[in-house]
Amino acid sequence: MSDYALRVRGLYKHFAGVQAADDVNLAVKPGEFRAIIGPNGAGKSTLFNMISGFLKPDRGQVFFADEDITGQPPYRLFRIGISRTFQITNIFGDLSVLENVQSAVLSKNRRSLAIFAQSRGAYIDECRALLHLVGLPDLERRSAAELSHGDQKRLELAVALANKPRLLLLDEPTAGMAPQERIASIRLVHQIARQLGITVIFTEHDMQVVFAVADIISVLHQGKVLVEGKPERIRDDPDVQKIYLGEQGGIAAAAARAEKKTATVA
Amino acid sequence: MIRTVAGAVLLVAVLACAPLPLSDFWIFVLVQMMDYALYAVAFNLLLGYGGMLAFGFATFFGLGAYTLGILQVRLGFDVVPAVLAAPLVASLFAAVIGYFCVRLSGIYFGMLTFAFQMLAYAVFIKSYDLAGGDDGLHGLVVPGIVGTPRGIYYVSLAIVALCLWVLARIGSSPFGLALRAQRSNVNKSLAIGINVKLEKWLAFVIASFFAGVSGALSGLATQSVFPDWLDWRASAVPIVMAILGGTQRFIGPVIGACVYVVLQTVITGMTEYWSMIMGVLIIGIVVLMPNGIVGFFRLRHE
Repeated sequence: MSDYALRVRGLYKHFAGVQAADDVNLAVKPGEFRAIIGPNGAGKSTLFNMISGFLKPDRGQVFFADEDITGQPPYRLFRIGISRTFQITNIFGDLSVLENVQSAVLSKNRRSLAIFAQSRGAYIDECRALLHLVGLPDLERRSAAELSHGDQKRLELAVALANKPRLLLLDEPTAGMAPQERIASIRLVHQIARQLGITVIFTEHDMQVVFAVADIISVLHQGKVLVEGKPERIRDDPDVQKIYLGEQGGIAAAAARAEKKTATVA
Repeated sequence: MIRTVAGAVLLVAVLACAPLPLSDFWIFVLVQMMDYALYAVAFNLLLGYGGMLAFGFATFFGLGAYTLGILQVRLGFDVVPAVLAAPLVASLFAAVIGYFCVRLSGIYFGMLTFAFQMLAYAVFIKSYDLAGGDDGLHGLVVPGIVGTPRGIYYVSLAIVALCLWVLARIGSSPFGLALRAQRSNVNKSLAIGINVKLEKWLAFVIASFFAGVSGALSGLATQSVFPDWLDWRASAVPIVMAILGGTQRFIGPVIGACVYVVLQTVITGMTEYWSMIMGVLIIGIVVLMPNGIVGFFRLRHE
């Protein structure tokens, strides 16, 4: 048994003229809440897409526990317990809230090709439990497109939890939210992940969000992991400060704000 | 639920009695409506549920009709096994053609299906011995009482009703939901474990199966098979019917098919420029009712 929930070894990805991943290595322990940060173009999304099977790396390997999952298609990864969300809120707008969750639960149970059964009412308790878990119990018949942005994010989380994932990948989970919603939103994820023992890897631009929940932070810069460590270490790292200079008054200020907020919440 | 059941019972009763006062001509029109309704609903499994605009869907209608025609007229099989073989042959070809087509999406998917239709057209129109070339096949023998217009009517009614019921169940199955999900959002579908290509392929095979049934029934009704059914102009027929009725409800293409057949019949009787008038009418309906006839009335209702 591997000591890691996810291990990334020597990943490379080259796009026309840009080395988007340049020997990326990561090792994430089970139950960890790992943030991946870095300026725009650092290669966060590329790394995410390679881990979740949406992009094939040029070189290198990705291990999920002991299993080499390099280059496996996304739908197979979902079945073995890896779930992801997208930077831009990504739901089935044409389906009802309940159908969104049902699609995922049916898929997990390998029922997506069942033509003789009926989907109405299928796995209804499981679906309702998921909607309850993320705080959307009364909206199941609504069209998903009609939900508020915050509720769509919750729905997206419910769908991502439908396969009882061991690893959850969140690409900018608070993008597009009002600043005051962001911390509450990531805390909800954090609390659910702790409760269910899920390992989480997330990318995030908002440093307050990062410092509020991350156990370990990996800083990506020009396709490489520049530094990695506990939040305090990252905050005080001179290289990181150099990259983030000017952004929201620097990384240290953001970290301080996050700590203050944590203190008030606690 | 009770209303739906009552409505269905009433509809079946009306349809069962309908031929009694009607002439053979109008019975034939009703049969054509039913056949086309099945054709349009099958097509809409791809367009409305799957978001796949198959320009070349007539391939499978034609394959169904030619299977019946060749087996019966040329090879002397009984009608029953020939009719049963039609959807099987159509879906068998769809399994192969679909394998290539579902790898593409949007207009490219549509054009590849169309290319296969042109291929099928070329094969049938060039082979006089087997398929009668540009004459098609005529003189299908349907024995006994079934061979009368009323007989054909009741056989078509029973088969179409059964097929529509099966298609409705498939539409509301987990498979139907996954098909709608991938139409709504492909990447999200992949992320939740749906094998999108396989879903689309299965939809393609199932839809073609029922198009094959519909083609065979049309062959029965006219006792002929026409190469026109595979002509490039034939591609528009299921598209027009589905969009006319509305693609977002199961019943939409049924309504679309009925309206299409009525318009065609009535206007053909009035003028030789029927296709021009039909074109103008269809443009009018589509502009006034962008969600189809069913979508239009649902919105007004709500």
